[in-house]
Amino acid sequence: MATPSRKMLEAEPLITGHHDDGTLNKSLLQFIWDKAGPGWFALMCIGLCGTGLLTVGVTVTIAKGIGMWGNNIPVGWAFGIVNFVWWIGIGHAGTLISAVLLLFQQKWRTSINRFAEAMTLFAVMQAGLFPVIHTGRPWFAIYWLFPYPSTNHIWPQFKSPLMWDVFAVSTYFITSLLFWYLGLIPDLASLRDSSTSKRARIAYGIFALGWRGSARHWHHYKIAYLLLAGLATPLVLSVHTIVSWDFALSILPGWHTTVFPPYFVAGAVFSGFAMVVTLIVPARKYMGLKHVVTARHLEAMCKIMLLTGLIVSYGYAMEHFAAWYSGDEFESHVFYVTRAQGPYRGIYFLMLFCNVVTPHVFWFKFARTNVYLIWFAAVLINVGMWCERFVIVVTSLHQDFIPSNWAMYYPTWVDFSIFFGTWGFFGVLFLLFLKFIPAIALSEVKELRHEMHEADLPPMTELEGAKP
Amino acid sequence: MSSNVNGLKRFVLGEFTKPDECVEAARKLRVAGITGLDAYSPYPLHGIDEALELPRSKVPLVALCCGVIGAGGGYLMQWWMNAVNYPINVGNRPQHGFWTNIPITFECGILGAVLSIFFSSIFYFFALPRPYHPVFESERFRSASLDRFWISAETDSDENVHGLEEQFRQVGAHKIHTVVENV
Repeated sequence: MATPSRKMLEAEPLITGHHDDGTLNKSLLQFIWDKAGPGWFALMCIGLCGTGLLTVGVTVTIAKGIGMWGNNIPVGWAFGIVNFVWWIGIGHAGTLISAVLLLFQQKWRTSINRFAEAMTLFAVMQAGLFPVIHTGRPWFAIYWLFPYPSTNHIWPQFKSPLMWDVFAVSTYFITSLLFWYLGLIPDLASLRDSSTSKRARIAYGIFALGWRGSARHWHHYKIAYLLLAGLATPLVLSVHTIVSWDFALSILPGWHTTVFPPYFVAGAVFSGFAMVVTLIVPARKYMGLKHVVTARHLEAMCKIMLLTGLIVSYGYAMEHFAAWYSGDEFESHVFYVTRAQGPYRGIYFLMLFCNVVTPHVFWFKFARTNVYLIWFAAVLINVGMWCERFVIVVTSLHQDFIPSNWAMYYPTWVDFSIFFGTWGFFGVLFLLFLKFIPAIALSEVKELRHEMHEADLPPMTELEGAKP
Repeated sequence: MSSNVNGLKRFVLGEFTKPDECVEAARKLRVAGITGLDAYSPYPLHGIDEALELPRSKVPLVALCCGVIGAGGGYLMQWWMNAVNYPINVGNRPQHGFWTNIPITFECGILGAVLSIFFSSIFYFFALPRPYHPVFESERFRSASLDRFWISAETDSDENVHGLEEQFRQVGAHKIHTVVENV
């Protein structure tokens, strides 16, 4: 083998082309200052239609009662919790990119963290809707969920994982929001200062809070940002761990397993990265962001999907192994009969195909560099992860210990309206974000460019490593 | 620009095009004994903390204290609510369940730390929101959040302004603006 030359060892730069701070400002803020195109309006219309569908679904549920949903005993949890777990899992990639990769000094996160964090926030909003509506009378839910001194003189029952979930998800939402906003302040100031109209200057000026980029502020800002990342890291692990305890702490076969926490966290990151890729592949093309979200970024995300996909596959294997090895006939029944041969086997095999087979394409360089293939695989993974939650929730519930207790679950039009409605609502929030807020963390990219310039070489090869 | 109104703050502002020049100039000005110095940049400048001799940030201390308070408060809340004020017997398990209190205690600790970091930074350490600041009097200062680097020196009287401007010129500022606080 020939000795690798310096050029071969160097990874593709994280910012391609020749840029200075001025051209970065211009190229990254241009989409905001330009008038929105027909494509944006068309997508917005679709999103608003979806939001309308959501409104209808929620209104019908509240007006007529929770019986409008398809779930009933024994399948007491269905779309409500499936969609909750799916959305919140999607959110986890945002925190992983913004916090965990920051702590590991993975510089490639800089171009995609803002985007992923916005996705987190909006996904957690959708997730939160489901349990709240599922309570049936959300206006009463507050005294079951939050410890406030109500006239009933009772308190929530803190020994339940569902209560832990309330605290975990609300803490997660607040932390994500504050972390996102703190990162946004310098960019809002850039928008204020590059605005040409007085209205924009005032609007962005209000949200920038009067930030002037003072060294005395950056001094605290850097440490505050790092600490928030440090706190968000264990937090994100705790959130999906606690979500998995909602299941694992029950005695139902198929739920009562110790592998759930790590396997849920890996699944969350897996689906979250798939969603980031699904959104960023079209966005980087239409918003002209290819110089900061390069092929190298996409490739890195593919590798993370491959890794987390393998962990998820290991989780599946372990569940099946434990069911067989324990000799518990109810466990074996769920894993080998209900799931693989039961009435929902189509969803089970779709899950296996999407989550276990699909990520293996990312072993190959041509797959990691072909945007169409990446996008298609990411969509399949999103589908697969939804199927996984459906399989876990519904198949375990619909056939438990006593056959006389078995029943089928079929979602109703209200279930579908609310589910597809949340896509629309998510889309609306995301489109507004893309139009009014810099989708790329501008100040961080400028700092990265400065670091690259100082080092005088394409920076940070730790991800790619040395490849001969 | 210069005014004779006394008691108002004057800011001498110097613009730099390169981050390293800005840091170096800040160091020279500080060594020359100028007080009330600050630097402005679109992203954190490497080495500016040492150049301006900024003291260690207190943000971690605040976060630690509030995190501990949050965790302690979260634990006490669960103990008081479920074991003292309204005991709930679930299958005869202990009413004060140490292990089952851990997740919420952890979440409350994180929440306390996060809220304190964010709000203490914004309201106390940055002293924001502050829509008006004298440096914004200079229209050119808008570049401080885009692609230029600025240093400011604060003074109370007109007599110092001339000397400061001269010193700014010596350390290599490309543009020098003096602004007066507008009340």
